[in-house]
Amino acid sequence: MSSPATISAPPPSRDVTRHVAIAGNPNCGKSTIFNALTGLRQKVGNYPGVTVEKKTGRFFGSHGEAMELLDLPGSYSLQVRSPDEAVARDVLLGRQSDTPRPDIIICVVDASNLERNLYLVAQMLELNIPIVVALNMVDVAEKNGIVIDIMALREKIGVPVIPMVATKGTGLIELRQAVSRSPLPSPAICAQMPIVLEREVMTLAKQLPVAQEVARGEALLLLTLHEAALDDVTHHDRAIIEATKAAQQRLVTAGIDPISAPVDARYDWIGGICAAAHHTGDSHFATSISDKLDGWLTHRVWGWVAFLGMMALMFFCIFTIAQVPMDWIKAGADALSKWVEGHMAESDLRGLLTDGVIAGVGGVVVFLPQILILYFFLGILEDTGYMARAAFIMDRLMTKAGLHGKSFIPMLSSFACAIPGIMATRTIESRKDRLVTILVAPLMSCSARIPVYTIMIAVLIPGHSSMQKALIMLSMYILGAVVAFAMAWLFKKRLLKGETPMLLLEMPPYRLPSWKGVALRMWERAGLFLRRAGTVILALSILLWALMNYPKPANTEATKSEALAQSLAGKMGHTIQPLIAPLGYDWKIGIGLIGSFAARETFVGTMSQMYSIESKEDEDIGPLRDKMIAEKRSDGSPIFTPLVCIGLMVFYVLAMQCISTVAIVRRETNSWRWPLFQIAYMTGLAWLGAFIVYQGGRLLGFH
Amino acid sequence: MNPLLDQLAVAAIVSGALAFFVVRFLRKRAGGKNCGSDCGCGTSKAGKVGR
Repeated sequence: MSSPATISAPPPSRDVTRHVAIAGNPNCGKSTIFNALTGLRQKVGNYPGVTVEKKTGRFFGSHGEAMELLDLPGSYSLQVRSPDEAVARDVLLGRQSDTPRPDIIICVVDASNLERNLYLVAQMLELNIPIVVALNMVDVAEKNGIVIDIMALREKIGVPVIPMVATKGTGLIELRQAVSRSPLPSPAICAQMPIVLEREVMTLAKQLPVAQEVARGEALLLLTLHEAALDDVTHHDRAIIEATKAAQQRLVTAGIDPISAPVDARYDWIGGICAAAHHTGDSHFATSISDKLDGWLTHRVWGWVAFLGMMALMFFCIFTIAQVPMDWIKAGADALSKWVEGHMAESDLRGLLTDGVIAGVGGVVVFLPQILILYFFLGILEDTGYMARAAFIMDRLMTKAGLHGKSFIPMLSSFACAIPGIMATRTIESRKDRLVTILVAPLMSCSARIPVYTIMIAVLIPGHSSMQKALIMLSMYILGAVVAFAMAWLFKKRLLKGETPMLLLEMPPYRLPSWKGVALRMWERAGLFLRRAGTVILALSILLWALMNYPKPANTEATKSEALAQSLAGKMGHTIQPLIAPLGYDWKIGIGLIGSFAARETFVGTMSQMYSIESKEDEDIGPLRDKMIAEKRSDGSPIFTPLVCIGLMVFYVLAMQCISTVAIVRRETNSWRWPLFQIAYMTGLAWLGAFIVYQGGRLLGFH
Repeated sequence: MNPLLDQLAVAAIVSGALAFFVVRFLRKRAGGKNCGSDCGCGTSKAGKVGR
């Protein structure tokens, strides 16, 4: 990721006049400002660690000049603790070969937390890059009784300070004007370091093979590293590291702690600023509301009741509200299928369109309303600030598993999709904890599992109430979470041993959700889901149809079922039958398992295709649920017994079955070793889980 | 429908589906920086030009 600082940055593109970086503490509104300036829709949320990678966009200054804007992950200081913070530091120091060092930094400061946020400003000022301070959330500060003297702040920091409320667009014009000013002067003021320290910094800076303007900042960062951290530095020669250690030793001899002295100097400087520009009034009212809510939502009993209650409500809505639009989509797909049959003579092409394309894609698209409801609820949880509270109440459980509460945010994000969840692990400081979280995050039930759960629950308890169905689905989500914790515990005990770090998590203030933001996210998800259905699922459906229909049986009198059995897919299903027979599955379910290896939601589409092909024999295309209920073994007993249905759900809770997740784990771990291990352990676990359900249930007398 | 045309049309569609996955795989390998999925995590939108 980081590269030697000596690598020269690529020349700026022809029409971009400036490179502007947005930096600041986590959850201070950087991405909101980025979105407001560029018009893009980068994900925002009310919890720390939403942005874990740099994102670029383009905007125009007051005079129409094009500028490239870089949204950096949040960071409390340039002494980094996690991979996402390292991205911000490396960009600001010009260490990334693919990103030019910014010409201007917009340093976003949360006005309601001025003192803490100014620490990063103090470090930015040492980097010798022109800075504009965006003092965001001034409305929240006012509500909390905080009065900030902007003029005094400008005077003390020595750079432009723009008061803003980014969510309402207040201050955006002024920010744009400030960034467009030409030339913007470099900062003239910064925290005064002790003279002896300053001398060592300058001596070390002269030895560094980096550009002159970053040398001082780079030297100061090196001097404040612990010995172990210095030994881990790879972007400088050993000679530099030894020179740094020698300088540290000289400072200690002179009675100056090289690690704490710069921190003390910066806090002295911040203290002076706050004394002049920051006045705290009566903040009792705002604090008490937040504390009262937290008293309930983070309570050791009521916190859990609230969490499980919210999840139960979410699944209840998934089963009730979604039903009507699901029926519409189903009716639409059926009507389209009938229309094609009415306008085309019987042929393979007609079969491909009706049984392959319409049954396959329609079988998956029908679940869109349920997935959107899931995103609606997750959007509200993210916007209100509840995610951080959920992480807090989970900390006790996470600690027992050897992880800390921070790992729960990536795991909770995995309820939507494991990929952003795995990306969110970048906020975790410890490499081993991060790896363990990556390994278990796909066990959390993602939205692609909803179609499988829904159809299995429908076969398991047809005609039962939505509440009962919601509770079964909730139990699958809980099963995924429990197994994830158990596996994390096992990995921490055996594979990736290490100390359990203490949870240090900022609790963002509660905010009302942005309904526009939630609606936009749902709209985007609908677009992504339909695009996926129209590309990957469509292509998979066509290939699966071909596998289910070719080669044609030699005997022209063969029934549709016999033809399916003799097809390539049928042969594959029969090949893996010995492996899946102990789970109570037949070869047709085997086809579904193989078909859904790349994307688990394809299971429903594959089953839909399979029964659609077979059903032509008696021209009765009933709902997939009825077809599955009616499916019989050779001895006349039903295939989809309660044990098989539960076993299949358990299989899908635990199995990897997602090629996109494999790709992202490969990228994040930078090796094939971990994704291959993950596929192996999750598939083994899925088989074992389904085996225990089926065989254990039979031993207990169930069927 | 002419059986030959029928089989040719099916073969073309199935080949197209297969080509889709091959092209997708090659593009992702060449892409490098992109997150490699359409999950909406935003990574694949890096570099997109705004207003």
